[in-house]
Amino acid sequence: MGLVFAVCALATWCDAAEISFRNDVMPVLSKSGCNLGTCHGNARGKGGFQISLRGQDPAGDYVVLTRDWLGRRTNPSRPDESLLLLKPTMQVAHEGGRRFEIGSSEYQILRDWIAAGTPEDSKTSPLLKSLVVTPRELFLEPDPASQWKSQLTVAATFSDGSRRDVTERVVYELSRPIAEVSPNGLVNGLQSGETTVLVRFQHLQVPVRLAFLEPRSNFQWTVPEPANVIDQQVHAKLKRLRMLPSPVCDDATFVRRIHLDLLGILPTAAEARTFVADRSLDKRARLIDELLQRPEFADWWALKWADLLRIEEKTLDRKGVENFHGWLRDAFATNKPLDTLVQEIIAARGSTYEVPPANFYRALRTSFERSEAVGQLFLGARLQCAKCHNHPFDRWTQDDYYSWASVFAAVDYKILENNRRDTNDQHEFDGEQIVVHGVTNAVKDPRSGKPRPPGFLGDKQNRGAQDEILQSLSTWMTSNDRFVEVLANRTWQQVIGRGIVDPVDDFRATNPPSNPELLAELVQYLRGTGSPATHGQRGLPGNPRPAFSLRHLLRLILNSQTYQATSEPNDTNREDEANFSHTQVRRHSAEQLLDTISQVLDVPLKFSGYPTGPRAAQLPGVRVLRRREGSPTKADLFLTAFGKPPRLQSCDCERSDETTLTQTFQMVSGELVNQMLAEPGNRIGSLANSERTTEDVVQELYWTILTRSPTEDELNQTSRYITERSSRRKALEDVTWGLLNSHEFLLRR
Amino acid sequence: MNANLISRRKALSIGGLGMLGVTLPKLLQAKETAGRPGRAKSVIFLYQFGGPSHLDTFDPKPDAPDGVRSHFGVIDTSARGIRICDQLPKMASVMNEVTLVRTVYHTMKNHNSAAYYALTGHAPPLDDIRLRDTLDLFPAYGSVVDQLSPVSNGMPTFVAYPHVLRDGEITPGQHASFLGKAHDPLLVTSDPNDAGFSLPELSLPSGVTTDRLQNRREIQQLINRQTRINEYSATARGLDAYYDKTLSMLNSSRVREAFNLSAEPASIRDRYGRTTYGQSCLLARRLVESGVKFVNVYFSNNIGGRTTSGGWDTHGFDNTRMYPILRDYQLPVTDQTLPTLILDLKERGLLDETLIVWMGEFGRTPKINDNISRDHWPQCYTVLLAGGGAPRGFVYGTSDKNAAYPDKDPVVLDDLTATVFSLLGIDPHTEVRDKLNRPLPVSAGKIITGLMA
Repeated sequence: MGLVFAVCALATWCDAAEISFRNDVMPVLSKSGCNLGTCHGNARGKGGFQISLRGQDPAGDYVVLTRDWLGRRTNPSRPDESLLLLKPTMQVAHEGGRRFEIGSSEYQILRDWIAAGTPEDSKTSPLLKSLVVTPRELFLEPDPASQWKSQLTVAATFSDGSRRDVTERVVYELSRPIAEVSPNGLVNGLQSGETTVLVRFQHLQVPVRLAFLEPRSNFQWTVPEPANVIDQQVHAKLKRLRMLPSPVCDDATFVRRIHLDLLGILPTAAEARTFVADRSLDKRARLIDELLQRPEFADWWALKWADLLRIEEKTLDRKGVENFHGWLRDAFATNKPLDTLVQEIIAARGSTYEVPPANFYRALRTSFERSEAVGQLFLGARLQCAKCHNHPFDRWTQDDYYSWASVFAAVDYKILENNRRDTNDQHEFDGEQIVVHGVTNAVKDPRSGKPRPPGFLGDKQNRGAQDEILQSLSTWMTSNDRFVEVLANRTWQQVIGRGIVDPVDDFRATNPPSNPELLAELVQYLRGTGSPATHGQRGLPGNPRPAFSLRHLLRLILNSQTYQATSEPNDTNREDEANFSHTQVRRHSAEQLLDTISQVLDVPLKFSGYPTGPRAAQLPGVRVLRRREGSPTKADLFLTAFGKPPRLQSCDCERSDETTLTQTFQMVSGELVNQMLAEPGNRIGSLANSERTTEDVVQELYWTILTRSPTEDELNQTSRYITERSSRRKALEDVTWGLLNSHEFLLRR
Repeated sequence: MNANLISRRKALSIGGLGMLGVTLPKLLQAKETAGRPGRAKSVIFLYQFGGPSHLDTFDPKPDAPDGVRSHFGVIDTSARGIRICDQLPKMASVMNEVTLVRTVYHTMKNHNSAAYYALTGHAPPLDDIRLRDTLDLFPAYGSVVDQLSPVSNGMPTFVAYPHVLRDGEITPGQHASFLGKAHDPLLVTSDPNDAGFSLPELSLPSGVTTDRLQNRREIQQLINRQTRINEYSATARGLDAYYDKTLSMLNSSRVREAFNLSAEPASIRDRYGRTTYGQSCLLARRLVESGVKFVNVYFSNNIGGRTTSGGWDTHGFDNTRMYPILRDYQLPVTDQTLPTLILDLKERGLLDETLIVWMGEFGRTPKINDNISRDHWPQCYTVLLAGGGAPRGFVYGTSDKNAAYPDKDPVVLDDLTATVFSLLGIDPHTEVRDKLNRPLPVSAGKIITGLMA
């Protein structure tokens, strides 16, 4: 008790003191790394000493430092004997090592504060208002010693109007460790490339984008005229980085890539040959327009969204899955504006059998699941961190988290029937449900134990009437700038393979876009603003361009040289991953691989619970039959092995594009692929039995499987192989196997 | 930019400490090079699904009152002062090689949640009878080992068999989860006790001979030579590496030989027991001999408990009774196989570097229920360790008089995990990143130094 009184008594005195707990002591703890997650900021602390993660709770930390351990941590009567000074200077063993020296400014700040009686900040003591870092962006030339050096300066402004240079007090962190930043803000680049320095002081963080340039003294910008605004923005950035974009790919590569990207299948040999032979200048643009109208395009986009919206049978039941998926497919077939699509999802209520988008809420059973999913999918905010502590790299606090979750507490269910087969399984629902809105049971904030009033994310004042809150949300959200950015960026990623902000569901100041101007162009285009004339587009049917048109945005992207670039890098852009200088190679998805194997062999697929026939990309859900009702087919197992997600999470990350040993075993010795190869009535069978010459058959196989002619070498060797074998059929199987297992077949390039 | 420029170790240490300038990573590296405890090169994780009764196996309480005391008796063992259930006489003869941890506890009462905890060392978000197997849950131990300390001799790091655990739904914790499919175990679901047991992946499809496969491979390589993609794409090179590995596994003898149980003399196979579990344990020995680091052997595919097959979940439901089932099935199988494995490893000089972990998801109620059986009891149960740097003939922790709660030295499951990682030479505080890029320690527990010999 005595100590508590002492602190209070000293509080008046501390007004006059120079050391502020919040503005001086806390930054020392952050700068020295004491409050990192690996150290005392860990949820369990370290060595019995726990402070808030990255200093997010100064008031709590004050208590921990001053009132725990009978004053051993801070000992005003003998300041130098405080553990707060003995430990980090290694006068007493410290697992975290030496954090600063005796007599350093850090030491002196802590010592002065302890000696002053560990004063608490008064109500009138100045609060940090803003942090200004200079510069915010740097394209750095190497110095003669091939190093990239620059000094950052950081100024803090406080509520009393005072300004301080805090360059030596802030924390510097790097998104990619290709540089060092000294404690006093001197940047030293270690290799060329781009990184972001996060400058952190108290609760504020400012990102600084750094590019360390190669000297490239003979660099010349020799690039064809941009096809449209996308190329203008991509080129502008590349030029600054002294990188040349890779050239546009050849027709054969293009026709293959665009089919796989828009339809998930390959062009037939005839389609591909016709396209390559076509001499007209606008054939690529025409093909793009044609493919966007194909029914397979709607299947392919419904598949992408069905992953994110968790369309799976256990929770939605088979009818719900088919309804929701069918509704999505229709939306893409009719080019429903994307903002309308999302509005209908967010505002959905009613029977999950009659209102297909109501299945979105049926799949997300708690307020937390709903709020996290909507935040992540549509606002690019990964809020999960903020459930337990303020987000360490984002602005979201626990207050924000629980207010946002309360918005979704308005959802409840009337379960009309549930014929689930496993009565122990609380996740299984089979039967009609009504999604209702307007329930008034706000989420409890675990810190206060009290209900938390609802508030929209980043706009807490905004909350509709309780029974209409999700209606209000649906219009608030789709008019939100961030929403449009997220949608534009996700669409970009869906064809380019990488977001301008990447990952696509992680928008925050500390994860800036690699090309903000490019993102802004896409946003403007998606909104339907911006003049079509400047975009270098052909006249399209239905102009003026409608807002939120997926097809129009895709058309813009796909007609760019950026989309059409080769995957082969040049000497200037070899290291680039984030600036779209060349196409990134990646493995095709589970559905693309299985559907194209089926297509080129002309053998239909069989999935558990379906008649033989549908493509993998057309499957509405994940697993129709329970384990007891039937085992997965080999085709189902193939999809799982190649990363089709179980749709239990609202995250793009659930789909895997990794390569694994299981996959190569599937391709090399797996039963499915080998059975399809050996199927008597497949394409190999009809080619083997045909009168066509061996060369002609090889040509046909190459165009069917790889969308190109064989080279002379390939034609000679494979023809010889075929004619030397006793069985033409078996020889063709072997050649086909080689084609199906080639890089060109398995990888997008 | 090329992420490969930063070595894994460096990236790991930088990420792990929040990227704070240069001082902390250096500190961590220094700590790493200073060396950590860890004598185990491999772990054989014998998982007892359903939850064995600790009172009727390794923590008998002969002085407990009727209604608690086991119907079985107790016997002295080769370790002075350690007594176990009298249905395990062979086991009694090797107790001088074993550590019993008699005070393991947690709070999960449902099989899938508790099993996930046991298989990963991380508490599940909720105690759910049908806990869903999502990518935000933790990876299996072996997957963590595959990420942090993989085998480099061509053998897989992590092999799991002969079942996939399910209780209504697939039990989480059996694969790599957020670490990525590349770190999944090599999963074998064929029965090592079958006469023609072999790894299905290593059998060529019908009509495909080794020669024909070689021809196919040459055609594939002919096609791959036509582009420069291997020069500029790490993805293409990665794919190539997997093809090389697949083909070499199909052609070479090393992996095939490790899985070839018929190479074992009949007498050895008989010693282990001609049961799925017995032959699985023999296979585990062959695998660690060939360099595999983590082997998960599942005693059963389900929780069982009602018949003399399946797991250890002996509630006495449907008018069944625990004691005859234990007596006729789980205990004799265990008593034939487990001591054989321990002695076999010892005779081959492998016990020092191989850690055996024998555990279920929980123990069973001290109070015998109305069915003369026992229900779930996570509050206190026994885990058996042998070899790999664990003490010999040793008991860690004391349970109370009815084996209901820890009396001395309680061991929360996380601490056991931290200790196992440490015995394997992996710092349990090493961080991995989940799909949201959050840094998470591979174990949140503390190393129990008392479990390190």
